[in-house]
Amino acid sequence: MSGENDDKMVVDDDGVSEISPMTLGQYYQRLFPHALYYRWLNYNSKLASTEFTHREFSFTIKDGIYLRYQSFKDSEEFQRELARLSPSKIDIGAIFTAQPKHAKSLQPGVFKPVSKELVFDIDMTDYDDIRTCCQGGGICIKCWRFMTVAMHVLDRALREDFGYTNIMWAYSGRRGVHCWVCDERARKLDDAGRKAVAGYLSLIRGGAEQGKKVNLSQRSAHHPHIVRSLEIVEEYFEDILLVDQEILLTRDRWTKVLGVLPDEELRQTLDAQWSKRPDRSSVEKWSEMVDAVDKRAAKRGSKFGLSTFERDMMLQLTYPRLDENVTTHVNHLLKSPFCIHPKTGRVCTPIASDQFDSFDPFAVPTLAQLLREVNEAGGKISAMAPHIAVFEAFVATLSSSRESAGNQPSLDF
Amino acid sequence: MFNQRVPKKEGFLADQPAVPEVVRRSRYPSRLTVYAEAPDVEVSIEEFEAFALDRLQVLRSIEDAQLRAKGEDDMRKRICEALDKHMPTHTNRSKLPARQLMAERRKDHVSHFILRLAFSRTEELRGWFVRYESALLKHRFREADLAEKQELLASAKLRLAPLSPADRDAKLGDASHFYAAQEQLFEVDFERVLDLVARSQVVLRAGKAYVPQSEVATLLIHEFRLSMVRALGVCAKALPQMGEDERLLPVLQNLSNQTARSEYQSSGAAGAVTADSIDDLGPSFPLCMQHLHAQLTRDHHLRHGGRMQLGLFLKGIGLSLQEALVYWRRAFSAMTDDQFQKGYAYNIRHNYGTEGKRADYTPYSCHRVIMSNPPGPGDHHGCPFRHFSAERLRAALHRDCLPDAEVREVADLAAAGHYQVACTRHLELRLQGRRRRLHQQAADSAAATAMPEPLPAAADPEVRLAAITSPNQYFDLCVTNGKSPAAADTTAILAGAPK
Repeated sequence: MSGENDDKMVVDDDGVSEISPMTLGQYYQRLFPHALYYRWLNYNSKLASTEFTHREFSFTIKDGIYLRYQSFKDSEEFQRELARLSPSKIDIGAIFTAQPKHAKSLQPGVFKPVSKELVFDIDMTDYDDIRTCCQGGGICIKCWRFMTVAMHVLDRALREDFGYTNIMWAYSGRRGVHCWVCDERARKLDDAGRKAVAGYLSLIRGGAEQGKKVNLSQRSAHHPHIVRSLEIVEEYFEDILLVDQEILLTRDRWTKVLGVLPDEELRQTLDAQWSKRPDRSSVEKWSEMVDAVDKRAAKRGSKFGLSTFERDMMLQLTYPRLDENVTTHVNHLLKSPFCIHPKTGRVCTPIASDQFDSFDPFAVPTLAQLLREVNEAGGKISAMAPHIAVFEAFVATLSSSRESAGNQPSLDF
Repeated sequence: MFNQRVPKKEGFLADQPAVPEVVRRSRYPSRLTVYAEAPDVEVSIEEFEAFALDRLQVLRSIEDAQLRAKGEDDMRKRICEALDKHMPTHTNRSKLPARQLMAERRKDHVSHFILRLAFSRTEELRGWFVRYESALLKHRFREADLAEKQELLASAKLRLAPLSPADRDAKLGDASHFYAAQEQLFEVDFERVLDLVARSQVVLRAGKAYVPQSEVATLLIHEFRLSMVRALGVCAKALPQMGEDERLLPVLQNLSNQTARSEYQSSGAAGAVTADSIDDLGPSFPLCMQHLHAQLTRDHHLRHGGRMQLGLFLKGIGLSLQEALVYWRRAFSAMTDDQFQKGYAYNIRHNYGTEGKRADYTPYSCHRVIMSNPPGPGDHHGCPFRHFSAERLRAALHRDCLPDAEVREVADLAAAGHYQVACTRHLELRLQGRRRRLHQQAADSAAATAMPEPLPAAADPEVRLAAITSPNQYFDLCVTNGKSPAAADTTAILAGAPK
C-alpha cells in the first residue's frame, strides 16, 4: 500500500501484525456495531437498565494488562472508553448487585453476581486426542466440522429440551465456538442450575488417563436427548472421523481406538489383521471392527460392554466436548462477540442457526481486511455486513420474546 | 427463639402408649418434619449443648457414610445406626408413650435450630450444614411409612399437577417410554429438580421436567434446601446480635469448629520447602500429586485444573510464594518469560493471596478433588482412584513395587467407589513395604555380623491410618510415619540384637 494519505493504514494480509492500539481504535470507532451491541446487553429497554450499567466488562489492553470490573452508565460512555483504551480483548462478565466499577469500595458480601447469560465454550484443543489434522491452536476446515456437530447437538437440546429461544452462537475467532443463551429464565439460573444443565449436556467424562469416556446405563441410553444426539452424531461420524480424520489409518492411530475396546483377544486379532494390510481405509477397518465386535458380543453376552461399543465410540469421538467450568459459574467471563481475536486478527462473529453446516471460519474477515476496505471503499464495509445482519436478526428476537414474556414459566417456587 | 417462657403444658403427655390421633394434634404431630417453625421451648444450657452434639454426630456419620459406604444398602444401614444411637425418632404408631415421642421430637427440633445458628457463621459452614441436613431428610423420608410420606408431602405444599394420560401422549410422544407405563408423572419447571436433570433421570420438553412418582422426594429435598439457604442467611444476620449472651456464643463457636472435615491446616511452615527440594519429596506425594508432578516434568506444562491442584498442594507443604514462582517458571521451560509472566504468574500470586480478592487459598481436600471439576480430555488433575481407568490405575500402583495381591486389593477398593479408602490403603501398604525392607536390611546386617539366632519377627509391620481426607494429610502421614516410626523400629531391632 502506498502511504500517500496519512489517514490510511499500512495493511498487509497477515492479520496479526496489523493489530495495534491504533488499528483497534479505528475498528471500535468505525466498524464495531455499537448500537446493536447496546440493544443486546441492555435487553431492549429504552433507558439504560441495570442489565447494562451493572454488567462487568473486562479489557485486555496493551502489554497484556488486564482490567477487571469495568462498567459503564450507557452506550456513549462504553463507546468512549473503547475508543480510548482500544482493548485487544473484551470479556463479558456477570450483572452484579452494584456497578462493578465500584466493586473495590463495597463490602465483600454486598457486591455479588446476580445473573448472566447461560454460556457454553467448545474449544478445539479438547479434541486434540482424536483429531489428526491439526493440534493446539491450529484448525482447518476438516476439524472445524467437530464444531458443526457440536452446534447442532447443543442447539437442538437447548431449544427442544430446555425451551430456550434466544440463542446466539459465535465463532471465537480462532479455534472454537461460544454459545450465549439469553432467555431471561437462563440468565437467572444460579450456579447449581448451570451445573445441572452442563451435567445434562455432558457425555464425555474422564481425563487423559481414562480410555473409555462414554459410559451409559441401559436406561440413560434411552433418554430422548441421547437418542436424538446419537441420530445427529451418526449423520456426521463417518465423514468426519473416518473419511476426513482417518482415525484408523496408521498403527499409532488405531492403537488408540483399540485401547478402548474391552476385550484383549479382539484387540490383538484386529491389530494383527490391520498390521498385515495397513493400507486399507479407516472406513473399511471400522466396519471390520464393528463386525468382529458384534460377533464377539453375540458369544460373550451383553455384560462386557461389547454390544454398545460402536454406539459409545461414535459418541465419544463425535459428541460435543464442553468446557464445563465456563458454563457452571455465573461469575465466569467469556470473550465478547465482535472482538478481534488477538492471535488471528479475525472478528468473533455470530453464527446463524441455519449456518452451522455452511459457516467457514476462514471466510471471516480479519481486522486488516476490514481496514483496507474502509480505506479503499471509503466507509462501505461489505465484509462486515453479513455478520452484522446475523447479529441484528438475533437482537430482534429479543424484543419479540420480551413482548411475549407473559408466557414465561413461573419461577416463584 | 430459646426464651425463658414457661413451656405450654402438654396435657395429654402420659406414660401410656400414644394415641396417633392425639399426637397428630400436638406440638410435634409427626417425626418427619421440614422444621418450618422454630420451637418456642425452654432449654437448659446443658441440654442445649448435648442435643447439638448428638445431632452433629448424626450429620458427621452421614458425611462419613457417603464417603465410605459400600453401596446404597450399606449407607442406609450406617445412617440408621447413627440415628438410633444419637437421635432416635419413632412413628406415631410405635405404641411408645407419648411422653417419649414428644421428647424425641423436641430434641430433633431444638438441635436442628441450634446447629442452624452455629453453622450460619460462614458460607462454607452453611454449605456443609445444608448438604447434610438435606441428606438426613432424604434418608428419613425413604425410611418413613407411606402415611408419614403423604402427610409430609401434603404439608410441604409442593403444588404438583399430575399429568393425564392424554397430556402424557400429547406432550411426550415416544419419549414417554423412558418411564414405566403405569408410573404417574408430574410436570414441573426443570429448575425444581436439578439433581434429576443433571443425571438425565427425567425427560425435558420446553423447559418442563416430567418427574415420576418415585422421584417426588427430590422435589421435597429441593424446596427444603432452598428454605434452609434462606433461613441460614437470616440466622447469619442475627448472629452478631447474640453477642450479649456470653453463655451461648462459645458453645456455638465450639460446635461449628467441630465439623469433621474442616479444611486442612497447613503443617508446612511457608519456606520449609524450596523449589529445588520438590523432586526429592515427590515419592512422599499421594498418587494424584505424583501423577501431576510427573506430567509436568514430561510436558513442561499443565492445564489449569492441574496447576491449581498441584500448586495449592505445594503451598500447603510449605512452598513459599517466591519459591513457587521459581518452581513453576522452571517447570514451564518451553515458554518465554513474557508468556509466563502474563499467563501464569498472576494465578500463582492469586493462590497466595497477593492478587485479586486476596484470599489465602487452602489446598484442595480429597472431597473437592473427587467431587468437583472432573478432568476432561487432556487434563491430568483429579483423583487417580476415581478418574483413572482400571488398567491405568493398576499400572500406576505397580510402579510403587507393591506385590500383585496388594495392587489388586487397592484397585478393587477403587473399583467399588471407595476412592479415599483405596488411597489410605495404598499409603498403608507403601509404609508397610518400607518397614519390611528396613527390617530386612537390619536383619541382613545382623546376619553379616554372624549372629546365629533368627531375629524376632519385626514389630508387627502392619500400619493402620486414619482415613485420608486431603492430599496434604497423605503427605504429612507419609513423612512422619515413614521416617520416625520406621527409624524407631530399626533402632529397636538393632537394640534387640543379641549382645
